[in-house]
Amino acid sequence: MLKMVPDVVEELVVAADGKSLDQDTLRMILSEPSDHALEQALLLKEKHGGRVTVVTLTAPEVDEALFKALAKGADQAIKLNVDQTVVGSLATARALASWLRADPQRQAPDTLLLTGSYAIDDLEGEMGPCLAEMLQWPFVGVVTGLALDASGQKVTAIKEFFGGLRGEYEVDLPAVIGIQAAARPPRYVPIAKIRSFMKSATLGAAGVAPPDPAFALEISRMYVPEATGRAVMVEGSPEEASRRLVEILHQRGIV
Amino acid sequence: MDPVRINLLGVPGWAVLWLLAIASFGVFGRRAWQIIGLLRQARPENRFGQLGQRVRHFIRHVLLQRRIFQERSIGLPHFLIFWGFVVYAACFNWSLIRGLFPFLPVPYPDEVGIVAFLLEAFSLLVLIALGVAAARRAFFPPPFLHLSLDANLILSLIALLMLSTLLGLGFRQAAEGPAASLPILSGALAGLIQRTPALAGAARGWFQAMWWLHMIIVLAFLVYLPYSKHCHLLASPFNVFFGSLRPAGDLGIAGAQEDQAGGASCWNEFTWKQLLSGFSCAECGRCDRICPAQTSGYALSPQQIIQKLKQHALAAGLGGQGAGGPGQPAFVGETVKEAEIWACTTCLACMERCAVLNEQVPIIVQMRRSLVGQGTLDRTVQDMLAHLTRYGNSFGKSDRLRARWTQSLGWKIKDARQEAVQYLWFLGDYASFDPRLEAITKLTAGLFQKAGVDFGILYEGERNAGNDVRRVGEEGLFDLLREKNQQTLAKARFQTIVTTDPHTYNTLKNEYRWEDPAVTVVHYTELLEQLITSGRLPLARKIPRRVTYHDPCYLGRYNQIYEPSRNLLRQLGCEVVEMPRNRLWSYCCGAGGGRIWMEDAPGIKERPAESRVREAAALEQVTTLAVACPKDIVMFRDAIKTTGQEGRLVVKDIAELVAEALA
Repeated sequence: MLKMVPDVVEELVVAADGKSLDQDTLRMILSEPSDHALEQALLLKEKHGGRVTVVTLTAPEVDEALFKALAKGADQAIKLNVDQTVVGSLATARALASWLRADPQRQAPDTLLLTGSYAIDDLEGEMGPCLAEMLQWPFVGVVTGLALDASGQKVTAIKEFFGGLRGEYEVDLPAVIGIQAAARPPRYVPIAKIRSFMKSATLGAAGVAPPDPAFALEISRMYVPEATGRAVMVEGSPEEASRRLVEILHQRGIV
Repeated sequence: MDPVRINLLGVPGWAVLWLLAIASFGVFGRRAWQIIGLLRQARPENRFGQLGQRVRHFIRHVLLQRRIFQERSIGLPHFLIFWGFVVYAACFNWSLIRGLFPFLPVPYPDEVGIVAFLLEAFSLLVLIALGVAAARRAFFPPPFLHLSLDANLILSLIALLMLSTLLGLGFRQAAEGPAASLPILSGALAGLIQRTPALAGAARGWFQAMWWLHMIIVLAFLVYLPYSKHCHLLASPFNVFFGSLRPAGDLGIAGAQEDQAGGASCWNEFTWKQLLSGFSCAECGRCDRICPAQTSGYALSPQQIIQKLKQHALAAGLGGQGAGGPGQPAFVGETVKEAEIWACTTCLACMERCAVLNEQVPIIVQMRRSLVGQGTLDRTVQDMLAHLTRYGNSFGKSDRLRARWTQSLGWKIKDARQEAVQYLWFLGDYASFDPRLEAITKLTAGLFQKAGVDFGILYEGERNAGNDVRRVGEEGLFDLLREKNQQTLAKARFQTIVTTDPHTYNTLKNEYRWEDPAVTVVHYTELLEQLITSGRLPLARKIPRRVTYHDPCYLGRYNQIYEPSRNLLRQLGCEVVEMPRNRLWSYCCGAGGGRIWMEDAPGIKERPAESRVREAAALEQVTTLAVACPKDIVMFRDAIKTTGQEGRLVVKDIAELVAEALA
């Protein structure tokens, strides 16, 4: 599952309603963890065979991302008729779930659904676990290593914790896995190849029942971080500085 | 006295000669046919037009051996050996035909006075030249000269050819009396022979023996030649004749039948002309000696690239050992390592130096294309290419910010997309986005304005011109960038394009397809020189100081623009002091060909920019290194710090110096 996110290289402008981004200046780009999920899928395919299908919601510039995925080696690209820019993570999960349910083949016991572990507009990475819950599939997120069992029905997912701890999870398929990083950085695919796919390949489309728009967090305000200018640099020798620091803390009534 | 009128074990001499000739010409022909067969299986490239220019090329580089003379010690000796070869090859064929057809009513070449004189004169000259060549190999070999057994064997064989001729002439005169020609040494030899009773009686036999020795060595040579580095003697005249007549700054392949984006990963994906390079290479090492990557300690050796290509073509094309086949190493990536391929700065010095006019840079770019096709490239380059694809610049900044530097100018530069201008200023990424260069870019704009130049820019419509992208091997992205720029340029109204960056200059000038043939591209230093010379930009004062100027590769070697910057500096009152490596032999700063996007290889000796800065700092009382390329500012200012030359040398853009003289 690939997800498009606002490109933060471009200047983000808050729209007049104060609750959303200005669509005219917004550009969308493939979310980086999504790119890693695709790379991990391609690596598994190269090692074990199988088919890679990329599925997305409709979003600006998503076609480019899909053709690029095909040029990299994905077998099929499908765009769902849901506008990603107006739905949240939960609704996205709903749309995906109904697409997966529409065809029993998509829930076959060797189905592995990889998503990005998070996105800049879904930092908690809600989408993956929500989707897994809806499908009653297992889920592991923040995965940095993934190996397919010889049986082809199980994967071992590696997750890194703080302090150098690693967890290895054995997960039965079908499953949803949130990828933090693929085994190697996403591959480069030359433009000539992408362009030839743009000429020859077609993107699949699929219709799903539009999810209830109420299935989203309500945004009350969106704003550019305000500069407060309240930071104070404390200078001088350690003694002077600590005296000054205590003074300030006193003044503010903190100590 | 006919040398073929002898009996060898009952077989007449002419029949023996027939047998030997058929055998050696047979082997030679078979090998030549094999090599031609290889070339025919390679990719097509049109090198057949402009016959007149090709002939001139041939005269200059084959007959006159212009580039051979760039290295003094071997220049004249090689020239003499070459012309000796021409004379001897002609006489050999003459002798052979006369020997094969004894009934022909013509004399042998050495029976004709003037020819005998030529033979004798050249045998002496060539012997001296061989002495120099052998001494060079033995006592003062330049670095990277391939000191092979092959080479020594060839030198010895040539020496034997000369000696057999000389002795033959001596014995003939001893047997038949003085020749009609001017005997230089052979007369003395004949006298010596006549005074030696053991030889005097058998002079006739000895003469015949020398003739046969000579013929047999040449025939053996013929067999050996196409298997040795001396193949260059057969291949290089063709290599020169079919040399590129297009600007070196154009990496397109004329007459290519397939898309070039995939590059070449094994021998038959190169063009026939690229394969011919290997057979033309004489292993002299000129390219390695001039290569900034090699000099800095990078893995690249242009000579080895060419040699490996030849060996691979022979092994895979003739021996049936397919590269990348089962158990066989891949050519690109294994036989030629990635580190070698990426080390090239595309500075063109090797191609300017190569005496047989091989084209190393396009061969390296072909291999880069294949690596890009496999996705095997540096992480940093990959990021740059992704930025360029998405934002049209290598800085990964929004394309909308391209003209942000104009906001603090205080006046508005025309938008060439909206109003007609005389000069369209194409800035390039570095001048537009690099914060280190913003001040210089604004200064340059100020100079144009002050001179009343009618100019405009494309604002956010400009994209990276693609010079480095193409040289990194991303042909598809280059096509994309070129298309986008040409679409924007088609909408703009202008007469002349002026560029800041020499790399941009090169690609716009040589690689863009201009429908309007009147479109000209100039470099900003050319424009500034014009403005000052014509008085449109009046100088307020002279700035007398000793300055040295660094020729950017893509302005100098690639496009032969050497003088405008120098004239300009002199008009400013500067004294221009040349670095030892100047103009055509300017030393690359190390940034070209996409190298500016790559990390330095670990363990290198000295970065090219550091070597260059030290070269400038070694000039007496020179305190300013003047440059005409935004990347040079970045590279050299950095190198000044890493070499500890701060305070000793400053790097100044030409525009900065002009601005100083205006203030």
